[in-house]
Amino acid sequence: MTPLVEFVGVSRVYGQVVAVDDLSLRVSPGEMAFLVGPSGAGKSTLLRLINREVRPSHGEVWVDGLPCHDLPVTRLAELRRRVGVVFQDFKLLPRLTALENVAFALHVTDLRISDDEADERSLDALEAVGLYEKAASYPGELSGGQQQRVAIARAVVSQPPLLIADEPTGNLDQETAWQITGLLEDIAKFGTAVLVATHNMEIVARAQRRVLSLASGRLVDDVPAGRAARMLWATS
Amino acid sequence: MGNLLVGPKPSRWRLYRTVTRNALHYLFGSALRNWFRNLGSTAPALGSMTLLLFLTGLGGMLGLVASNAASIESRSAAVLHVYLKDSATQDDIGALQSRLRSETSVKSVTFVSKDEALARAQHRPGLPELASASEGNPFPASLDVQLASVDKVGAIDALVRNDPIVDQGVGSTSYDPNGYRKLQEILFGLVAGGTALLLLITFIAVTVTANSIKVAIVARADEIGIMQLVGAPRWMVRGPFVIEGALTGMIAGVVAGGLALGLASIAIQAGAATFAQVAPGMTFKVALATALLIVVVGPLLGSASSLTGIRRQLET
Repeated sequence: MTPLVEFVGVSRVYGQVVAVDDLSLRVSPGEMAFLVGPSGAGKSTLLRLINREVRPSHGEVWVDGLPCHDLPVTRLAELRRRVGVVFQDFKLLPRLTALENVAFALHVTDLRISDDEADERSLDALEAVGLYEKAASYPGELSGGQQQRVAIARAVVSQPPLLIADEPTGNLDQETAWQITGLLEDIAKFGTAVLVATHNMEIVARAQRRVLSLASGRLVDDVPAGRAARMLWATS
Repeated sequence: MGNLLVGPKPSRWRLYRTVTRNALHYLFGSALRNWFRNLGSTAPALGSMTLLLFLTGLGGMLGLVASNAASIESRSAAVLHVYLKDSATQDDIGALQSRLRSETSVKSVTFVSKDEALARAQHRPGLPELASASEGNPFPASLDVQLASVDKVGAIDALVRNDPIVDQGVGSTSYDPNGYRKLQEILFGLVAGGTALLLLITFIAVTVTANSIKVAIVARADEIGIMQLVGAPRWMVRGPFVIEGALTGMIAGVVAGGLALGLASIAIQAGAATFAQVAPGMTFKVALATALLIVVVGPLLGSASSLTGIRRQLET
């Protein structure tokens, strides 16, 4: 199967600091994987390389057939439309309602979609994350977990083949974190590959998914689904 | 032709129509919505832009007045009055006129009789009293020599000063070398100073406006970042901000232009009798043209400032 994401000997250096060091990996379409490792291991940089927020210093990064390492700035939008992004701090626009935040992603990316269609698809996405009733609420009126659900709805409303999440549960309590993880698993079931960077080993252990362990920018372990879960669950 | 099928327009046409409508709705609709939403962060830019456009307009009008005044002064300074003896005959005067007209730097020569000189003096402060205190007409006849430029006055003065029919008693001609030099210096200073002041105000207006709009854009860096992260093309990121900038500039331009026009109109009406002398060339039409220029420059300045401001927020 053609990989959705492929890193080939990728390094990323910030000044004297090597954030990612000669890393190679593949993620298949519809696959869900966790990126784990201590702070500074390179998890966030890896995600930023996928989304071309940063360029690799060496090597190649391919996402859905696009060469991220060599993509001109004029084609960034093309890449970004194929990658949904979820952040630890949600990054919702406070002056827009939940519905407007989700529809915003459609309005600014696809002019073929009418307002009605954008609203309809956004409501569907909010319903999928269990927030249909909160469509008219502003981010400030929502809990952290609910805000993260809105952010996930925004990330998947245009049905990208890949969703990347950087510490999506970092600001949430354990129960809510588990609900969000369940939501990400549901998204993966519908064919979107999901890559989650996290410190939360409990949800990694419970999710029974592939685990990519990073340390000092290097991939030190790549444990397939099931085995990793049992191993981590046992040690947690 | 029987096999020609006439059906509904191709769906591609509907798609173009939808895309165009959505693009316009997105650009103008969201720009308008965002402008009102972010009025708090835009207000300082709007205020400073209004004030500076107003000052620039006012500076422009004053510059025009100064330039007109300088031009009038320069024209009148290029007139040499050659005073004639009362004993000068028409033949002598005619010969001198012909001699002067043969000079390339002379544009025209006009004879002013003693009676005309007296009539002119009636309109000059202090001279009517002098006329009434004298027996008869104390003012000499003269030849008013209009020269191509102020620089040539000295040469023509030297040519005629010692002519037998020229009246040495009243200073022979109106030429005063020091006076002309001073006048030239003043005119040059007026034009140079006015131009420098206008350029300075324009520079301050552009810089302050650009910075105010930049601050308003930086305050919305998150929004710009999110737009880029969800895959908005660059023109869709820039577009609403440029239109918002144009809207800010248009409002500032209309207010500033209105203020400048209002102020100029009041000044013109209040001093209708003397205004033409105090501010030559300053008419309602000129004030209106200046106001319209401000209204046009406002949106251009606003959108250009936005374009520059947002460029720094875009990924490279």
